[in-house]
Amino acid sequence: MGSRIRNDVVRLFECFCEVAGPSKENTVPWILQKFPEHYRKDELLETVPNFAYPCEFDRTMIQHYSFVLTNAERIVLSYLPWHESFYKLLNCISNLTNSNNSKDLWPFLESVYNSKLPIKGLDLKINSDSGEELFVCQSPIQFQLPSIPENRNLTEYYSAVDCQNMIIIFASMLFERRIIFTSKKLYRLSACVQSANAVLYPMNWQHIFIPVLPQSLIDYLLAPMPYLIGLPHSLFQSLQRNDLGDVVILDADNNTIELPFDDLENLPTDVVSTLRRQLIKLIGGYRDALKFHQGERITFNKEAFIESRSANMQPFLKKMLELQIFQQFIEERLEMLNAGLGFSDEFEMEVCNYHEKSSNRLKHQYKDWTFTMKREGTALFKTVKNAANPTVRNAVKTVKERGKDFRLAYKDIRSKFNVPNKNPRTKIGTHPNSAPNSPSMQKRQSWSHTTASASYRKETANGLQKLTTSQNFKDSSISPLPQINLNLMEDLKEVIFRTCDNDDPRKYTSSWDDSVKSNFIINDDLISSSFGSMPSESPMETKDLIRLDSTSSIDDFDPLNSPTNSNGLVPGVGLSNPLYQYFVPLNKTQLETKNNNDLLNEYGLNFDLLSCTDQPGPSMSTSQPPVPPLPPKPPNFKSNWTKFE
Amino acid sequence: MAKEYDHLFKLLIIGDSGVGKSSLLVRFADNTFSGSYITTIGVDFKIRTVIVDGEKVKLQIWDTAGQERFRTITSTYYRGTHGVIVVYDVSNGDSFANVKRWLHEIDQNCEVVNRILVGNKNDAPDRKVVLTEDAQRFADQMGIQLYETSAKDNINVEQMFMSITKQVLRNKKETKERQAHQNNDVVNLRKGHSKGAKRKCC
Repeated sequence: MGSRIRNDVVRLFECFCEVAGPSKENTVPWILQKFPEHYRKDELLETVPNFAYPCEFDRTMIQHYSFVLTNAERIVLSYLPWHESFYKLLNCISNLTNSNNSKDLWPFLESVYNSKLPIKGLDLKINSDSGEELFVCQSPIQFQLPSIPENRNLTEYYSAVDCQNMIIIFASMLFERRIIFTSKKLYRLSACVQSANAVLYPMNWQHIFIPVLPQSLIDYLLAPMPYLIGLPHSLFQSLQRNDLGDVVILDADNNTIELPFDDLENLPTDVVSTLRRQLIKLIGGYRDALKFHQGERITFNKEAFIESRSANMQPFLKKMLELQIFQQFIEERLEMLNAGLGFSDEFEMEVCNYHEKSSNRLKHQYKDWTFTMKREGTALFKTVKNAANPTVRNAVKTVKERGKDFRLAYKDIRSKFNVPNKNPRTKIGTHPNSAPNSPSMQKRQSWSHTTASASYRKETANGLQKLTTSQNFKDSSISPLPQINLNLMEDLKEVIFRTCDNDDPRKYTSSWDDSVKSNFIINDDLISSSFGSMPSESPMETKDLIRLDSTSSIDDFDPLNSPTNSNGLVPGVGLSNPLYQYFVPLNKTQLETKNNNDLLNEYGLNFDLLSCTDQPGPSMSTSQPPVPPLPPKPPNFKSNWTKFE
Repeated sequence: MAKEYDHLFKLLIIGDSGVGKSSLLVRFADNTFSGSYITTIGVDFKIRTVIVDGEKVKLQIWDTAGQERFRTITSTYYRGTHGVIVVYDVSNGDSFANVKRWLHEIDQNCEVVNRILVGNKNDAPDRKVVLTEDAQRFADQMGIQLYETSAKDNINVEQMFMSITKQVLRNKKETKERQAHQNNDVVNLRKGHSKGAKRKCC
């Protein structure tokens, strides 16, 4: 009996009750009618009105909320925690009640009651006598993390509570604290409590769990055991706080938290960074939406922001744009950028990391040299493909060198943009990348590598001031473009990574997740064993290599290792646990069928993605080599987006 | 207004379902009329104020449903309580086996927690399967007290609750004294205004 969720449930609901609220004549709420009428669990029914009207609240607004009742033998969260289905069901009932065919309500309830539960993932459909479809609900796939915005509760939780506080609550739950959520709105209260539990997946809260606590049970907050209780704000105010002892209190209306423990501090750092990464998946796309037009301030493009994420996340992102906290976040970032201040907080670093991983390489505007690279890249791939194990290292080296070329070319383009215009950004009184006194700049100055690539780095650091003319670039006569859609965030990324480059790679990665870290170490070893004759390789170059890797797993790093592992067995991306998808090395089993471009993709060298649309490149369009069209990005990237890893 | 109590102790009662935890609570509690919520929200508590050595001690005894689904009772479960009452049914060997396992695990946690072992339903000798000697041997081994009770016939219930209360109170005072030894000054300063003020933890 390890689970609190029952598996032997026959029907969607056990009993439907209409409860009348307390009024002047009748101070206690009571059940108006119930279905089925023969439902006789009096102990349970007695409690229902109390939970349905837990306290005085504004009843002019329709609110959906849930409460949890248990039975004596074992705790059950509810017979079926299908909040989405019940939300639909209640809507349907109220439609029926309010329409002129309200006599249909009982037959409708009867048919739902008597319907067998659908198999997971299938629909339960109820038609009216006339064959009209009244109600459809999908049997939720259980044992998976909820997603936004499909899950109403989680969406509510996410809009009410910011990332940091969600992580704190998560930490408090992991430490099994006594936790109180409070809100003026009952639907928010129950949604947040339910979501906080859902986010614990694959674990389940094992202790006292009361989404909305009725007034009569307020003394239960004194319980010494762990609990997660939603407390209507009106009751919260009357609470004798000093009797409570050490409790974690989350005010879901004001997004504030009271915390007697530092549980977050005790969470492993990489866990915290993983949690943060989930939020980056959602809003990290704001970088793609930053637009710079010559002579204007940097602006935020809402459409681009929404398009920065896959279609199923877009409705939520639209909603997010209406959020005060999000608007504030964007405003602050824009302000920093427009003031020329560099910023490299953990969030931005993680965003960079995410961009690398999702192979959403940007640099759209640098189309001029993509075609050259594409050709070279294809050749390179052949090297990799045909290489036997000893030679793969050379191939890797080639990748590294290509990567360096890549950056040189990048630098050239940058200076190119800058030359004719005498640095458009300084013109408008802002500084690119980072101000000289910004932390990243200071760090950069202490940087001591003196290899060729290092000097390149330095050069680009000051590139906009130095305005060096390009050396490798052949066509230097392109006139300044009327509108340069410069991707400032990419520049920013450079800054951030340069900041990282200052440190020893191991030290630097220690604040990142372990998988990346191990990649770094592996690569160091690789360098020391096979590139012994290349002493001039700087650690930085090693990291460049990593950054071209689109995945974080060590196995993925060297595609030629895979034959030893690929026994054809892939842990199924089963319905029951889609999470394992993340742990399946993404491209391993498809290696044989993979074409050249896929592998390039893996190394972040998908040049088709780098092509520019809003910048005229007449010379390029004619000389486009007959490269087979790239398939769309591997679907598993996208499918990963909405799921929490 | 006079202080309602000198000490507030929160006790936790654990044991398999059906061993008679609720009956013990009802038998002991001040107010037997208050409804039970254990069946609906999975948690319940009862209150009783007792006098120990002239001091008013308010007891909150907490009960939760579905403990038998836990193979282990983790320390988070009882870290907020002052004492744990561990109940088995003398006519049910399995319930005793569970209790033994739980107590072994509680014992392994370093945190000091006051415990008492209770064999309930000790009112039908012909059905008794957990022998007093076995239970006593185990209690001695664990260094805890054993009480054989019957909630039905009201045997030993009062004594059992008083025993755990005294144990908690004694423990609290010892802790206080130990602290007083460690830093005399601080305690002297506090003495003036902390009289009667309850402390959260013993």
